[in-house]
Amino acid sequence: MTDKLHPLVTAAGREMADGKLDRREFLRVATLLGVGAGAAYSMAGLSEPAMAQGAPRKGGTLRLGMRVQDLSSPHTYSWIEATNVARQTVEYLTYTGVDNVTRPGLVEKWEASPDLKSWKISLRRDAKWRKGGRPFNADDAIWNMKRMLDPATGSSTVGLLRAFILENFELDEIDPRTQKKRVSFRLWDSNAFRKIDDFTFEINGKSSFLGIPEAMFHYPAHMLDPAEGGKFGVGSNGTGAFELVELEVGKRAVLTARKDGYWGGGPWLDRIEVIDLGDDSAAQVAALASRQVDMIYQGAIAALPAAERLPHVQVNSVDTAYTAVARVQPVKPFDDKRVRQALRHATDTEAVLKVAHRGLGKPGEHHHVAKVHPEYADVGFMRRDVAKAKALLAEAGYPNGIDTEIACRPQPDWELLAVQTMVEQWKEAGIRVKINVMPSAQYWDVWTKVPFGFTTWAHRPLGVMVLGLAYRSGAAWNESNWSNKEFDALLAEAEGYLDVERRRAVVAKLEQIMLDDGPAVVPLWRALFNYSDKKVKGYRIHPTAYIEFKEVWIEG
Amino acid sequence: MARYLLRQSLNILLTLLAVTFLVFALNELTPGDVARKLLGPYATQEQVDHLFREMGLDRPLLVRYAEYVGNVLRGDLGTSVIYRQPVADVLLDRLGNTLLLAAICFAVIVPLSVALGVLAGMRERSPLDRGISVFASICASIPEFAMGVFMLAIFVVWLGVLPGTSPMRATAEWPVWMQFVLPVAVVTLYDAGYLVSMIRASMVEVMRQPFVRTAVLKGMPFHRVVTRHAMRNALITPFTVILLQLNYLVSGLVVVETLFAYPGFGRMMLEAALAKDIAVVEAGALVAVTVTMLTQLLGDLGYMKLDPRIRI
Amino acid sequence: MIARAAATVALLGRSPVGCLGAAIVLFWAAMGILAPWLAPYPPNRIDPALIAYPYPTAANWLGVDQLGRDILSRLMWGARTVLTVAPAAVLGAAALGTLLGLVAGYKGGAVDSILMRVGDTLLAFPKIILYLIVIARFGASAFNIIAVVTVTQAPIIARIVRAVTLDVKNRDYVAAARMRGEPTWFVLLAEILPNARGPLVVDFFLRLGYTVIAIGVLGFLGIGLPPPDPDWGSMIKESYGTIFVWPHMTLIPALAVSSLVIGFNFLATGLREASEDG
Repeated sequence: MTDKLHPLVTAAGREMADGKLDRREFLRVATLLGVGAGAAYSMAGLSEPAMAQGAPRKGGTLRLGMRVQDLSSPHTYSWIEATNVARQTVEYLTYTGVDNVTRPGLVEKWEASPDLKSWKISLRRDAKWRKGGRPFNADDAIWNMKRMLDPATGSSTVGLLRAFILENFELDEIDPRTQKKRVSFRLWDSNAFRKIDDFTFEINGKSSFLGIPEAMFHYPAHMLDPAEGGKFGVGSNGTGAFELVELEVGKRAVLTARKDGYWGGGPWLDRIEVIDLGDDSAAQVAALASRQVDMIYQGAIAALPAAERLPHVQVNSVDTAYTAVARVQPVKPFDDKRVRQALRHATDTEAVLKVAHRGLGKPGEHHHVAKVHPEYADVGFMRRDVAKAKALLAEAGYPNGIDTEIACRPQPDWELLAVQTMVEQWKEAGIRVKINVMPSAQYWDVWTKVPFGFTTWAHRPLGVMVLGLAYRSGAAWNESNWSNKEFDALLAEAEGYLDVERRRAVVAKLEQIMLDDGPAVVPLWRALFNYSDKKVKGYRIHPTAYIEFKEVWIEG
Repeated sequence: MARYLLRQSLNILLTLLAVTFLVFALNELTPGDVARKLLGPYATQEQVDHLFREMGLDRPLLVRYAEYVGNVLRGDLGTSVIYRQPVADVLLDRLGNTLLLAAICFAVIVPLSVALGVLAGMRERSPLDRGISVFASICASIPEFAMGVFMLAIFVVWLGVLPGTSPMRATAEWPVWMQFVLPVAVVTLYDAGYLVSMIRASMVEVMRQPFVRTAVLKGMPFHRVVTRHAMRNALITPFTVILLQLNYLVSGLVVVETLFAYPGFGRMMLEAALAKDIAVVEAGALVAVTVTMLTQLLGDLGYMKLDPRIRI
Repeated sequence: MIARAAATVALLGRSPVGCLGAAIVLFWAAMGILAPWLAPYPPNRIDPALIAYPYPTAANWLGVDQLGRDILSRLMWGARTVLTVAPAAVLGAAALGTLLGLVAGYKGGAVDSILMRVGDTLLAFPKIILYLIVIARFGASAFNIIAVVTVTQAPIIARIVRAVTLDVKNRDYVAAARMRGEPTWFVLLAEILPNARGPLVVDFFLRLGYTVIAIGVLGFLGIGLPPPDPDWGSMIKESYGTIFVWPHMTLIPALAVSSLVIGFNFLATGLREASEDG
């Protein structure tokens, strides 16, 4: 460590020594602030987990069962499946591991200013484009980031970095619906991205943001060759270990190993074939059983018992903060918080986990902060209490219970199973709920509008991130239209603390508000799982469901 | 004859127009917005609105429908939202796969059901008739999804002699032809069951006709009566029904295609309809309706040829 | 009328296939009607304790599904569902189809052309898309399924009735009724319709079979009757990913659907034989 440590790293190190900072959280903070993963682990007094599962073998084809989606516009991808193909060719700047630690990718190291507003990014010098052999440079990185933040692109990266680096401005057009001027956004300053030399640049934001290195691992943040204008397809240039050689959306995609040497070591596989098996769980198992695929991207719950019994198949799983929440909007009868409490009291989360997710994961605690989150505070596990739920309903003026309808979608299959289980539990408390299953595409049209719905929430490394996205008054994804001033104020306070113990103290209050007044029933925390043939080595399932094939090999 | 053909062609065109308009209008009624679908659930509303205007979706329904018809007449079927390719490319590929599967099934189903139907119908209520009829009736009664599930359990899981999915790409263990066995078997059993009953019924009727009885009484060997006189007449009525199976085989295979992960037309239509990919749904509807109408036309023409008493 | 029905039943008795069909259908009808009293458990009751060993036991004769719900109870209640929805849908189609067929055949001319053209368009319309559009717009419910089946099957029934109507409308007794000054509706219903009775009854039972399959297919494709109330197609859909380990969860409802369809088809065969012999 020749470089100077960020002052916050020193502070965090002290807190850890005093026992105030969790080691895992220290690792995350230290690496985000530019400390190498190895160094951070040794500062935390831990050893970095080793990946080796024997000596890698060169050669062979891996066949992955996964939906094959359109790949033409990486910066606007909305599904992990698409990025799992493109990522093998067009890489990310950083890599956040299974351990929540962010490591270098195309970026070699980064340094943050003390106020976390300015970030100096240094690229590695040995990463080369496959076509042309030119090194990946600062102009390439800046072009990609600016393109993602351009309103005309439509990338979800905007949501992540908006407060940090974008500002709103009014257009001259009038929106006929609102009769007001249309609003758009742009970079807040011409120096937001500043090139220093060919391999170094600076990102200058208008506010503090610790998550810059993690944001570079956001799924659409692929580094494309500027000469290709943001498009991606067969033969597209990339810095990655593989080249896309065949693509038929809805059928298959084929990647082959790069031959001119790859900066990251490997790849070991000669060829990757992605086969689209549809959404059908039986097709999944059938393909595995007859060895037509070597790996399945995501397991369906219905297929799990069968996959567990196939002798040549291994089930991979990882605990995550992935979940889906049954949330209500403040309309009758849910405008009364006692009714919302009754919903929670009537739910037996342990039973839902056991039945709908076959016990893989942890029971939910209704406040949407998971045990895997560093600032999780234990405010007591809410056990099912039907009598209390009934009493609350009666108090709210519904002595005979209520009748309502919940919207949900059929895929992934565990969601519908969970809804059915909860509906059956609620029934005993006099909450009679009809289930309205709609195709996924339809559900995503109404997910922020239905009064009562069951919505997936992806894994995020911090509890406050989810709370900010889903429950802050007026937030774009606040699907429950819930608004609580005290909650908003406490949330802003919690976000301001780097010190996890201080954050935890505030989060405990936030959790209490969620339990008392909140709009959500959180039935479970999923363990993400998938299947691979036992001959597939070097693979570890990632909480984001990203797959990285450059480290994977097939045993002879 | 020429007038008949002209009228039928006009009829087909009108129906196509009616169906495409209906699909267009009904699609308008269903909730959901293509721009949202293109950008995914997490895009901001501004981004969605932007794309919505860019795609011209804020214009009235009739304007867009007229534009669509104009494009189709120029051979442009539009671009698919989920596949992000020209609809024609996706459609031709999936339709090709389905036609291949349908052709194999048809080639198995027709001779099989004619043989069984004639065998059963030539001696009404004989043990052979009872046996075939009951078997056919049972086959036609087991839904494809149930039959598929039974077969998967037996041949893939238990015996392990056939591949469980049919992605149409050879692997070391499973050549492509083996991937066809289960889908074809499921479709054949279900559909042949129905055809056998139809042909049997017609055969029974013909065998009761005086000219057949006379032939038998005159001492003509029974097998010659069946092959020379009865069969030809017995196939007139089911002829249309047989042709109509083409229709089922093109647009009705969605269950089998889903079950065996076969990249065909039915699965494409289901996915497109679920995702409101209107360009694909429209093009698929055009194909399905054309196939239906053409098989009906062919049926009528063939009927005329087989039965000279019918004049149009 | 009653005498005629009794005669048909007696004739049906002579057809072993017909008897078997009637027995199967009656069996499921009894299951459905008596479900509230016969079913050992509430059909939607989830018992997490049972999912570790879901196979048939003394307490759960047919085992439980992946949520720990008793399969036998769900099967019985499912019979109730399918035997309500399918007959309602087919009766709807028969009523609408008969009416349209009678009117088209009797009036002829422009009315006939227009009705038949609309029917042809409906028949040419890809059904799966129609289902999806209706369900996406109005939601999955028993009523919507009944409505869609009614609309898509009515044109076929209309064709049958129209053919019969065309055949008999110029016969003497119809002309006589007209001469007596009977109103058109009376002529249609009392003089013409009875001629279509035979083909219609056979068609009715065949169509019941198809409709049971159609409901199953919708459930299987995930766009059928809404959960959690038991529906055989959805029972298969929910469980068939597990067929490799717990085949009973899928095979039992699959056998139930198949047997009911077989029952209807055998019944139709028996009735056809009976009407031919009678």
